[in-house]
Amino acid sequence: MIEIKDLKKVYAGVTVVNIPHLQINKGESVGLVGNNGAGKTTLFRMILDLIRPEQGEVLSNGENVAGHEAWKNYTASYLDEGFLIDYLTPEEYFYFIGGLHQQTQAHVNDFLATLNDFFNGEILKKGKYIRDLSKGNQSKVGIASCLLQKPELLMLDEPFANIDPSTQIRLKNMLKDTNKRSGVTTLISSHDLNHITDVCDRILLMEKGKIIKDIATSSSTLDELENYFAVSAAPSSIGIDEEENH
Amino acid sequence: MISIFLKHELKAFWRAKNAGKSLAVQIILGVLIVIFLLYALLIGFFIDKVLLHFSPKVDLVVSFCGVILIYYLLDLLMRIQLQELPTLRVQPYLQLPVKRNALAQYLGLMALLSGFNIIPLLLFLPFIFKVIAVRSGGGIALAFLLSILGLTIFNNYLALYIKRKANVNGWLLLIATGVLALFVLGDFMWHIYSIRNISYLFFGHLISSPVLVLLPLLLAVGMYYFNFLYIKQNFYLEELSSKKNAYKGSTEYPILNRFGIVGDLVANEIKLILRNKRPSSALKMSFIFLVYGLIFYLNPAFKTTDGIVVFVGMFMSGVFIINYGQFMYSWQASHFDGLLVSKLNFADFIKAKYFLFTIMSTIAFVLLTPYVYFGWRVLLIHTVMFLWNIGINTTIILFFANRNSRRIDLTKGAAFNWQGVGASQWIVSLPILLTPLVIFIPFKLLNQPDIGLAVMAVIAIVCLFARGFFVKKLEADFYNRKFKIAEGFREK
Repeated sequence: MIEIKDLKKVYAGVTVVNIPHLQINKGESVGLVGNNGAGKTTLFRMILDLIRPEQGEVLSNGENVAGHEAWKNYTASYLDEGFLIDYLTPEEYFYFIGGLHQQTQAHVNDFLATLNDFFNGEILKKGKYIRDLSKGNQSKVGIASCLLQKPELLMLDEPFANIDPSTQIRLKNMLKDTNKRSGVTTLISSHDLNHITDVCDRILLMEKGKIIKDIATSSSTLDELENYFAVSAAPSSIGIDEEENH
Repeated sequence: MISIFLKHELKAFWRAKNAGKSLAVQIILGVLIVIFLLYALLIGFFIDKVLLHFSPKVDLVVSFCGVILIYYLLDLLMRIQLQELPTLRVQPYLQLPVKRNALAQYLGLMALLSGFNIIPLLLFLPFIFKVIAVRSGGGIALAFLLSILGLTIFNNYLALYIKRKANVNGWLLLIATGVLALFVLGDFMWHIYSIRNISYLFFGHLISSPVLVLLPLLLAVGMYYFNFLYIKQNFYLEELSSKKNAYKGSTEYPILNRFGIVGDLVANEIKLILRNKRPSSALKMSFIFLVYGLIFYLNPAFKTTDGIVVFVGMFMSGVFIINYGQFMYSWQASHFDGLLVSKLNFADFIKAKYFLFTIMSTIAFVLLTPYVYFGWRVLLIHTVMFLWNIGINTTIILFFANRNSRRIDLTKGAAFNWQGVGASQWIVSLPILLTPLVIFIPFKLLNQPDIGLAVMAVIAIVCLFARGFFVKKLEADFYNRKFKIAEGFREK
């Protein structure tokens, strides 16, 4: 599904992403963990052709994402509120996104009805523009619009942040379901080690732009990760993430 | 405590994100403000001449006293529309151990830092020194000075109080404006009473009994205290901020539905314009510009000479393209990443821009038809310039849109907002102004203006039919620059 070759991004002389090779197969659920500044969001942005890498390339279904657009047909992503058109109501936004995928309003309504529990009555028909919603609810709109697109590749940056515990659990189940039952390849980053090891079959651990661990999730994975983060809590590795602290 | 607030305020000013960025813009803005204030001062110095000109038979002081209250009524109307509430800046202090009194006082003081409070001083003080001090002595002049100050401060806090109240109930603003307008009309249209006389009633008596100065001073202090109490009692974010909590429904434009994705994009952009402060004032400006022609066509110095009509016609039907288009795609900066990763063909994105321009320009063109009053030739030239706008200026604007990567925050108002202004906005005006000039003037000089117009029309129509070609070129051009644009838009 995704193949990364020799990918490198440098900001002001500091290498923020450096991945010689990474292969993500169709149907895999991959979790990306790492402290702030490890390069997770930058990697996501390069996979989505939002920033130009210094070198290397990202292949999606064998085609370089840079300069091509076919990947947009089967890739749905939500990284931050910058992905939402915030002066629209959630309904208008969903209809717009649905329209891009040739879905009628009735079609979109049917789909949204299945998300009633996830929305918890906070999103639809509330008479608010997206910009007036709380961060958690904005994130729900973003995630729902991803699922609406019926993607083959789903990319979410910290989807568990800002949302309430019940929704987190619902989201976990939804993600497992989309991956297991519909075979959607998922790529998720998170700071919540419990959730990520629960949802993902494969964990990538990033540190200073490099993938230092690539593990298939097992019963010991959580301990392994907790150990890593406990040890590396030393001051030297605490960096400030440019992407997340703007 | 207040001195600390002031220090923070100064820091906020100097460290504002768009402060240091482009010095040129700052300087031009500063020069504009100085020019504006100088104008006010100039009027202030010659207000005696102006008054004499309009009412030569009335005593100068009498007509001056009559004008003051009229000014303050208009001032209040303007303030209600334009003055900003200095509010959210206290947000970071609300939960800290800072006395509410200090915060409320600080907000009150900051509210005085407004251009509206300087203008009346510039307008009235020169006259007070020039005429009243000479005729009636320093004491009376001081009484006038204090009265002016008092009324200014009173107006300042009254306007803010109305605006704060209007946050809770949006209709209040409309009602207040209506009442004020009716009050003014009652004098000037229906002649029920004379504001001039009421004004003289006070200021005339001020000359004989300066003790009356206490009245405006009391009004000012009272209004300040009233405002202070109101702020203190309503120290809640939602009441202080200027956000309104009305129900916001979804809207659809059925006509646009027929145009597929391009129609959807246009519908989104219309919502963007209507639902956000700054683009909506760009739209309002476009409507105001429709009367621009009157200034020229009615003026015997210009009349409807071809050259004038060419330019005025271009601005009137193209002002939206120029005024709104010069900031493209910055309007969409806040969700540009989302657009880039969505299943959206960029050609459709550009087509939607063309479509939007064509719609807005056509509306303007239709509204301009009454100008036929000035002759059929005016209509003819307006038609040519309308074609020119949708054929050529659209493409010029979009070409420069690909070169603009400054973020715009949609929620901020338009007045004195220079965010997103950069070199591209200055440069784009050159081709827009020069191209019609370069084509039309030679024919005009050869005394063949008709051929000149025909040539412009033909070029415009050819370009109109070549839109598909331009869309492809603009798309290719965009892909070369998209990383730079997207990166610029991400910088808050």
